[in-house]
Amino acid sequence: MSDDLSLDLFPEPEPEHVEVEASVDQAEKETVGEPKVWSVSQVNRAVRSLLEDSVDPLWIGGEVGTWTRSRPGHCYFTLKDDRAQMRCVMFNRDAQQLPTDPEGGMKVRVLGALTLYEARGEYQLVASRIEAEGAEGLWRLAFQKLRATLTAEGLLDPERKKALPRYPAVVGVVTSSTGAALRDIVSVLRRRAPWVRVLLGATRVQGEGASVEIARALEALAATGEPDVMIVSRGGGAVEDLWAFNEEPVARAIAACPIPVVSGVGHEVDVTIADLVADLRAPTPSAAAEAVVPDAVVVMEGLREMPSRLAQGLRGTIQRRRSGLREVLAGLRMRVDRRIMPVQQTIDRATGRMERAMRSALELRRLRVATAAGKLDALSPLATLQRGYSVARSRTGAVLRSVQDFAPGQPFELRVRDGEVSCEALETREAGPS
Amino acid sequence: MSDETAREAGSTESVSLEERIARLEEILTRLESDEVALEQALELFEEGIGHVRAAERVLSETQLRVEELLAGGKKKELDVDEP
Repeated sequence: MSDDLSLDLFPEPEPEHVEVEASVDQAEKETVGEPKVWSVSQVNRAVRSLLEDSVDPLWIGGEVGTWTRSRPGHCYFTLKDDRAQMRCVMFNRDAQQLPTDPEGGMKVRVLGALTLYEARGEYQLVASRIEAEGAEGLWRLAFQKLRATLTAEGLLDPERKKALPRYPAVVGVVTSSTGAALRDIVSVLRRRAPWVRVLLGATRVQGEGASVEIARALEALAATGEPDVMIVSRGGGAVEDLWAFNEEPVARAIAACPIPVVSGVGHEVDVTIADLVADLRAPTPSAAAEAVVPDAVVVMEGLREMPSRLAQGLRGTIQRRRSGLREVLAGLRMRVDRRIMPVQQTIDRATGRMERAMRSALELRRLRVATAAGKLDALSPLATLQRGYSVARSRTGAVLRSVQDFAPGQPFELRVRDGEVSCEALETREAGPS
Repeated sequence: MSDETAREAGSTESVSLEERIARLEEILTRLESDEVALEQALELFEEGIGHVRAAERVLSETQLRVEELLAGGKKKELDVDEP
């Protein structure tokens, strides 16, 4: 670092740099004998004072080069444009305020004070604020990074969302005990669901460490095992004010909460990481309260209908029982029938057998009669008459068998198939031997 | 909830609104099913009416309670003003 540069940078040294000037005077005096020799530390300390006291904190615009964050949380980076670069440091106190580390190549503006790092004799900027791509750039970047991480872990999956209970008895509320959000929530719950008990986990909702406090409050409420549903909430505010709800501790606490969580942060337009992880996102604190409880008016209507629905159910049961009785009777009849049926069958079978026996007995008898009749027929002279023979009988009824039985002029009766013929013998001739 | 304990619960105040309404729905389902004997149906009906009356009382008479959870699991009643 040349004298010329420091003169250019600080053309008007302020009067309190007496110590430096006095030392220089002293050095000039001693050139007579041995030259005055300064230690490196002395010089660096002097230059550091010069630098720090001469330049007020200033905004410097540039591009982030390398960026490293040490274990204690101090951040070391370079800031550059197309021709030059400078070393910068942001100590952990200020670095904690960053929503996220800027990425290399990101256009930023840095508020800081110039100083000299004495141990290395390098000048550097001690940064206290960094803003990127407009005031909200880093917030946006931080939001995107955390959302990507949570998405990759599956914590934003729709399947993870728990269903809200329909009639919660205890509503856990995580918010500030003095904020408008609590008043809004209580007002809605009082109107809609006066039977509810609210259990407040009071917490700061903005500022350093607020996200960890919100997470603890949520965990403490869940640990009581009392709430049926949770509201994590905060009223409207600037991006920085809502920031705690965009931080990892809140996101992880909501994701790990065994009880369904409804978020209601800021206004309609504000979407936070908490909203994305929550089981339900409500646009405002009031909307969150409306989402967790049913409206008493609607519940009351449902209850008013209940007695008639119950009565209808009871009537239905009675009717079913009555028709059930009918079924029992039908069943009984069937059972009786089943018992009677075999007997009936036996009887039927026996009757059939009897009938058949009788029929065949009759048949046999009829057959015998017929046979007998046939025989009788064959013996009867009538059958012979049928064949064309006739029988001659005297008036006295004696059968006239021979020529000797007839005398010429003698009357006799001739019996033919279908009657008698009165006849008179004319002459008789005896037949010769055949 | 067994029918025995449920019947007793119909008249006690300690049962939550959610349990009452859930039980009412269960009773309706039972009444609409075939498995219920007449005697049992009558008991269910009476129990249901008890839940309805108790739930109506809860809705019309209770006041919202707000408590703050303190360290060590203690609780403190809070008065929260309307905005």
